[in-house]
Amino acid sequence: MGEGEKKPKFAVDPNSAKFKLNEIVAKHYKEVQEAKDRGEKIGWCASNFPQEIFQTLGIKVCYPENQAAAIAARGAGQRLCEISEAEGYSNDICAYARISLAHMMVGETPEQNMPLPDFVLCCNNICNCMIKWYENIAKELNIPLILIDIPFNPDYEVSDAQVAYVKSQFLAAIEQLEEITGKKWSDEKFKEIMEISNRTSRAWLEATAYTKYTPSPLNGFDLLNHMAVAVCARGTVEAAEAFETLLEEYKKAVEEGTSTFRAEEKYRIMFEGIACWPHLRTTATGLKSRGINMVATIYADAFGFIYDDFDGLIRAYCNVPNAMNLEHARDKREAIVKKTNTEGLLVHTNRSCKLWSGFMYEMSRQIGEDCQIPVTSFDGDQADPRNFSEAQYETRVQGLTEIMESNKGGKD
Amino acid sequence: MATLNELLENFHDIACSPKKQLNAYLEQGKKVVACVPVYTPEELIHSMGLVPMGAWGADIELKESKRYFPAFICSIMQSILELGIRGEYKGISAIVIPSLCDSLKCLGQNWKYAVKDIPFIPMTYPQNRKPESGKEFTKASYERVIRDLEAATGEKFSEASLAKSNEIYNEHNAAMRKLAEVLEQHPSITAVQRRDIFKSAHFMRKEEHTALVSQLIEALSQVEEKESKIKVITTGILADSDGLLKIFDEHGLQIAADDVAHESRQYRTDVNLELESLEGLADKFSRMDHCSVLYDPEKKRAGYIVDLAKKYKAKGVVVLLTKFCDPEEFDYVMVKKACAEAGIPIIQIEVDRQMVNYEQAGTMMEAFIDML
Repeated sequence: MGEGEKKPKFAVDPNSAKFKLNEIVAKHYKEVQEAKDRGEKIGWCASNFPQEIFQTLGIKVCYPENQAAAIAARGAGQRLCEISEAEGYSNDICAYARISLAHMMVGETPEQNMPLPDFVLCCNNICNCMIKWYENIAKELNIPLILIDIPFNPDYEVSDAQVAYVKSQFLAAIEQLEEITGKKWSDEKFKEIMEISNRTSRAWLEATAYTKYTPSPLNGFDLLNHMAVAVCARGTVEAAEAFETLLEEYKKAVEEGTSTFRAEEKYRIMFEGIACWPHLRTTATGLKSRGINMVATIYADAFGFIYDDFDGLIRAYCNVPNAMNLEHARDKREAIVKKTNTEGLLVHTNRSCKLWSGFMYEMSRQIGEDCQIPVTSFDGDQADPRNFSEAQYETRVQGLTEIMESNKGGKD
Repeated sequence: MATLNELLENFHDIACSPKKQLNAYLEQGKKVVACVPVYTPEELIHSMGLVPMGAWGADIELKESKRYFPAFICSIMQSILELGIRGEYKGISAIVIPSLCDSLKCLGQNWKYAVKDIPFIPMTYPQNRKPESGKEFTKASYERVIRDLEAATGEKFSEASLAKSNEIYNEHNAAMRKLAEVLEQHPSITAVQRRDIFKSAHFMRKEEHTALVSQLIEALSQVEEKESKIKVITTGILADSDGLLKIFDEHGLQIAADDVAHESRQYRTDVNLELESLEGLADKFSRMDHCSVLYDPEKKRAGYIVDLAKKYKAKGVVVLLTKFCDPEEFDYVMVKKACAEAGIPIIQIEVDRQMVNYEQAGTMMEAFIDML
């Protein structure tokens, strides 16, 4: 292509899942802003706070984690991190938190804007860092903080004591939100939301499971983008329909032998950890250029909640990946590795996430040994671009590729 | 009756040689259980005839722990694991690790594989600890610790023994609070000596420590103070390093009071002895506050530090920030703001257990003193 020659603009088919999913995210931010403009009370919400609560109440919330990821992917991570650091926040603090606190301070962030909250909804089943982050927001903005505390479970199964504790907080949160917003709880609506949420989760989990096909009908990195919908709109019919469309597309792709992975799929890996948003292109290209497709990630499972009743719902929120002990977390990953015929494990040692990285060395060693796959890691960060080295990433991925290649030779 | 100097030397010996303490207890035929920060239900362990011993890491080089932890996990967790792998805890019957921060959660998981001969006992605290359901959950977690302790040591739990231990711990709390008040009146006691007295509490049975502290208080009552120093408040997880504490002494600073997790934060709340003993212990946790690892939606800890500084007429607040401790890092901004509003000078010094060079800290402290 000569210089000056322009690429034709690619138009996304409005009936495609990609179009529908992008629309849902755009609509989500728009609706929260409109609610705020109407004078309704809106919240900021942790990604794994039980969305069934505010969906039932008809309350609009938005997600600082999604926002931080979008800001980081659009190149503004460092700028916002530095605003927080100037305020006194250590640069060792989670970059999502630093970005979010900076947005709270400046009020407007063009890369991904979000209205300021009237209350915050916190759930620490992903990490305790969430609590500190939301405490500071609540204090700075002088707004109520509702915490559903879901402790890290040191045991394999969730205990009855934990279910009782979480359930009582669930009920308290409803009361607090009714009081804050003046909206009323309806058991009938709750049932409906639970049904929709299950439908969305089923479609999402079924769609993500299509990576089990060789070659996979999708580039695993697609899931990182679609996940935003699984987080922010799980309880909506639009999300359920969009994921069902995605599922249909994958089915068709398998039948027709096509894929969104635009290269020959030579190797299939599991990618561990949150995406390195500021370096998404580099990390994706480093894999694609070697014919490596990411076909396995625990992250997809993190936002699919299947349950039969209220108790089941509570247990599902107690069983998210970061709330599980090493053995349970390992077994879940090993099941995915086996189901998807994964040939290698690439671990993102994420400077922002102490909980995700703090026992990953031991867990990934065990997965590597049990599944007989090579394991390698690289240092990075989910949103602060300063904590990633392209040279290190390239070297590590190359090393992993060579072992996978040699293993293939051995198997032939 | 021991002299003041003899008592101070005794505290120093105990604080600086936990291994000797451990071996002495083992030789007496006692079983010892390691207690990892920030809060461990020591009363339960004590009530079963076991010796609870604090495990807050040590100022050592890290080697083995690096196979388990990435570099950005705090040095307290790293060095606890390092000591475990090196066999420094040999003879200990079990280790109780609470999960009050994300790094603590990881320590427990790594421990199971890194130190297989010492059983890991998890203690899961609720963050919504004040409502009844929170107290119930604390109690259920204590019951789980009891079951694990019984399995690991063969000792039995009884409510009656716990009631006695609760009393012993309340007495120790009172002694430590009184000690802090007395030390404030005695600037001649150095920062290192103050640390020794607080640190030794983690390596002794509490009734023994109470007795020693009472002797110290008595000995101090005979001392006529002539010295006067600049009073400051310390806050953080640990104020343990000799090199760092000597900076206080060299620059004429007196720690008038502390909000340090390893020191005074341990002794603020008593068990209500009117309640049934296990319930009383759960109730105690529900009333604990002003700490970075305990849910604090109104950030009351910041105001607490300001009040502490005002109460003791401290000239400034020294934040000893354990590197990579995110609960403390988040709180720091709120503490800094509250101090600024109250017109109290504040300085943050980042510390870890691998610190060898204190020059920068010394220079920072000098600049801070100039401000006071």
